[in-house]
Amino acid sequence: MTTLRPFTCDDMYKFNNVNLDPLTETYGLSFYMQYLAHWPEYFQVAESPSGEIMGYIMGKAEGVGENWHGHVTALTVSPDYRRLGLAATLMNFLEEVSEKKRAYFVDLFVRVSNNVAIKMYTNLGYIVYRTILEYYSGDPDEDAYDMRKALSRDVNQKSVIPLAHPVRIEEVD
Amino acid sequence: MSRHVQNTDPSVLERRLRPIYDWLDSGNNKKALQECEKVLKKTPNLHCAKALKALTLHRMGREQETNVILDNLASEVPTEEATLQAMALCYREMQQVEKISKLYETAVKLNPTNEELHTHLFMTYVRIGNFKAQQQSAMALYKQKPKNPYYCWIVMSIILQARRGEGANDEKKRKVLLNLAERMMEKLVNDNKMEAEQEVQLYIMVLEMQLEYEKILDLVDGPLGEKLQCSDLSILKLLYLKKLQRWQQVNSLCKIILSDNFDKWNVWKTYIASVFDLYETGVNGNGPSDVENDVDSFDNTPEKCHEFICGIIEDGAENSFLLRAPYLARFELCSKLQEKNIKTEDILGDKIELFIEYFRKFGHKSCCVFDLKIYLKVLDAEQKSELATKLIKEVGIGSTSVPQSADQMQSHIGALQLARLSGGHRNLSTEHLRALVTALTLHYQHGYQSYGKDLPSTDLGPSDNYAIMAAHILFDLSKKEDGSDSLISALALLESFLTNSPSNFHAKLLALKYYHILGAVMEANSLYYLLDIKHLQLDSLGYVHCGRLATTGLYSLCAIHFDTTLKFFSSNYKDSTDHLTFSYKFGSFMKLDEFMDFREKLNNSLHYTTTVVDRIVLSLVDCSTLDGIYNVDISFKENKIEWDKLRDNRDLSVYVNWEPEFAENVLEESDEIKTLFAQDLNFLKLRTHILWSLSAGLEVLRSVDGTRQQNIASMRQILKDWEDLENNVKKCDLTPISEDSVSYPLPSRLHAFLDTPFRPIVTLFLSFFEFLTLDNSDEIEKASKATQEELSRLTETLEKKLNTKSSDFREKRKGVERIVNTVEALCIACVMCLMCNELVKPPPQGKKAKKKNPIESKLKCHLDLIINEIKTQINKTSGLVNGLCGETDNRDLVTILDSLNLNTDCATIRKNILLSYRKTRNEIQDVLKSKLKCLDSL
Repeated sequence: MTTLRPFTCDDMYKFNNVNLDPLTETYGLSFYMQYLAHWPEYFQVAESPSGEIMGYIMGKAEGVGENWHGHVTALTVSPDYRRLGLAATLMNFLEEVSEKKRAYFVDLFVRVSNNVAIKMYTNLGYIVYRTILEYYSGDPDEDAYDMRKALSRDVNQKSVIPLAHPVRIEEVD
Repeated sequence: MSRHVQNTDPSVLERRLRPIYDWLDSGNNKKALQECEKVLKKTPNLHCAKALKALTLHRMGREQETNVILDNLASEVPTEEATLQAMALCYREMQQVEKISKLYETAVKLNPTNEELHTHLFMTYVRIGNFKAQQQSAMALYKQKPKNPYYCWIVMSIILQARRGEGANDEKKRKVLLNLAERMMEKLVNDNKMEAEQEVQLYIMVLEMQLEYEKILDLVDGPLGEKLQCSDLSILKLLYLKKLQRWQQVNSLCKIILSDNFDKWNVWKTYIASVFDLYETGVNGNGPSDVENDVDSFDNTPEKCHEFICGIIEDGAENSFLLRAPYLARFELCSKLQEKNIKTEDILGDKIELFIEYFRKFGHKSCCVFDLKIYLKVLDAEQKSELATKLIKEVGIGSTSVPQSADQMQSHIGALQLARLSGGHRNLSTEHLRALVTALTLHYQHGYQSYGKDLPSTDLGPSDNYAIMAAHILFDLSKKEDGSDSLISALALLESFLTNSPSNFHAKLLALKYYHILGAVMEANSLYYLLDIKHLQLDSLGYVHCGRLATTGLYSLCAIHFDTTLKFFSSNYKDSTDHLTFSYKFGSFMKLDEFMDFREKLNNSLHYTTTVVDRIVLSLVDCSTLDGIYNVDISFKENKIEWDKLRDNRDLSVYVNWEPEFAENVLEESDEIKTLFAQDLNFLKLRTHILWSLSAGLEVLRSVDGTRQQNIASMRQILKDWEDLENNVKKCDLTPISEDSVSYPLPSRLHAFLDTPFRPIVTLFLSFFEFLTLDNSDEIEKASKATQEELSRLTETLEKKLNTKSSDFREKRKGVERIVNTVEALCIACVMCLMCNELVKPPPQGKKAKKKNPIESKLKCHLDLIINEIKTQINKTSGLVNGLCGETDNRDLVTILDSLNLNTDCATIRKNILLSYRKTRNEIQDVLKSKLKCLDSL
């Protein structure tokens, strides 16, 4: 039951049911606004028949040359609408947009402890490309996996050859 | 010479200036200033260093020096980018945005070919919303550099003039402007210059405003459609076909989309709507049609529609998909049939069976209840109760059994929720409801033990919803004879389940609400922090905590939460024009309207304005000197609040509920909530008049003889406005909103406010004040008497309304709200004492005038009588506070409770509530004491 539509500013007034979940971060306004202004096509929301926000995805396209890629900044699904394949639909959408933009791959960062998410992304065809040390600040800081999936333009799947060594945040562009 | 300095190698300058930027970024203004001085010593005329110095000084609060530097700089007409940017930032922070435009206007004049300067000038107009100037500067820019984006900026500026500028209230003007915008975009197409997707989007936007849907459809099908990379073209077409009411094409297109992807719910809804349009207009495929041939390509009867749905379901079944949309489409069909008074059974069979079938398929998913609740409306009361019974039976859990799997448990929870949504809990006896609570609590514990123990702490527990529902039913019970005891039981349940499911925000929200109802604000505060509410949530969810605090007497909490909220609003208002400039930069023109609406929504938040006023009143409560009052920015928006624009931004739906009334209707749109908003708005208007009156009084005090009369007149006018307003408000619906449903917020603060004689006290006191300024001794005496009498009634009124005997915490909370209002009135009276005292105190003439002026001491004695009355009232209020909140101090209370050996959860909750009241009492007593001290000093 997934009609996706572009995320609008007003949705920020309604997304509390999704965002109060502890694994979903509520960012400052300008963060969302920047994405809405720059990559509106990458910011989509799934609304339920009764009008609740079931989940949303927020992303962008960036990089030069063979590093031109789609990036998943945030993906979240309300606890009430889990196990319905919604996350896959949202990811699918982002991948399609990235395909249309002729990107080479899609990537995302995830906490190394977030097994549920890692498993889901793996099922969707993502691999751990590299580990980024102390990417998430907190007590203690936590590492992130940079997970990737090659798109059709990357014919030789060059973008998804895993790095042998972890990298620091400063090395990530 | 100065030109020469500016022309020094940029990289050298950049290196010199870098540290200043760094210090500014890290917020170390002192270091930044030192660095500025250092650079200016070497290059005294470096514009950029001066601009940065101005910025630094501004951030240090040294306004005067800032202005001197900026004015000097502006007169030297800087054109260098970094300087202009630093100056612009400084002006923006000083909220003098108009000056930024001036700055760039001059710079552009000197460098008419500089693209970057032109761009900046354009953006300064965007920030102040001057659409016409935007258009002109974009045109100048396009003339310099004929690039498509700049051309689009011109068009967009014209559109904004049409929609938000002069065209907004002038249909003719609007048409002219939009025609111009359309022609400009057409020219781009005809010249074969249209390239980017954003340009096509802008063109579609213009065409849509011109209602040229036909043209849009042609465009989408044509070569320009190929540029629309990121849009779903068939969905786009569907949108405009719908607007053109071409139902046959809508219908066929929906069928094509759905056959390919049958989970698109909105398309299903459009499809079914189109069926009924075709059915009613009698289009049967034989008559003239807008689709050539192919009669089968559209469905024009409910039967055909049902056939199509069933076909898709069968296809899905073959492919072993289990997607909900086609199943739910039958409900949509059913509800449409019912709307048109067509018998549903012939086509869809038994309605209850329809629900049960859906439930069998999806009942083990938590979304099932959300899906079905909007369609419960197709059943009558009897059918609903039959459905509820059948569902429970279907799940197979009786009064003596427990779920055998997590899925069965979820189905059970779903069946219970649907039963409640069907009104099944409404007519149950108290005993029955209590039994239900017990059963739900046991189910919760069983579910937690069996299926919830090994889950990560970030998950919601699978059986949590049993407990949430039990807490809702306990709320229902609190409306019956159980009183606040059942809310305490609910809190004990919620607190204990939060230790199992520490991330269940529903439980936190509910407990927060119950604590507020009971007046246990310290406990509410702890839960509020657990929710980690921030950024925009400070507005949408401000009502759950911050919006209540001003009624609690916990002044220390008020200050913290008000300031956090106000900081959010003011910083975002400053930043919010950034997004507008991004929109132009990236060509996301279709977002501009939305951004502007959002900016207004945020800035016109009722919660925001209420918090501003609450914050000022709080400062007055804290205030004990005249200087202190002058330091409070009391003249809030000077009569210029656009009341009609204030908005209710509350997200009430964050509270899950299974109330039959809100099965399909949005809570925010209910009459009750509209009434609440109207009452809250009236409350705010009245409360603001307290501030405006005092502010006008201060103006009188400050003015010298020449302007005093005029200021007195405007003070009188405000008091008159207040009176008129109050009379009008009293004609409106003053019934507090219902407290019967767990979904409603607490009633408006208006009611207790109107019970406190703020207006008579302020009015009489200010007229006493006015006569003091006029030295009219007869009137002074009269006015003093009147003021004393009004004040003397203050605690009398309070006492009558106060129910100190009741052990019901809900009554206690209401009592506290009344006391807090009275304390506020007393504090405001103290403020007016300070103002009057300024008029009667002997002028500081040094040693010469030791002898007291007899007239002045006579005046002082009238004020003293008022002061004495206030003191009496303060002491009485103090007694009432003790009466309501208890006299024993914290340690005694804990000892007493401990000695009773109440080791149950409820006893702990009760103890915490009492401790919270103790804190309330202490804070109120502290304020009262400080007021006595303040009055003694006069």
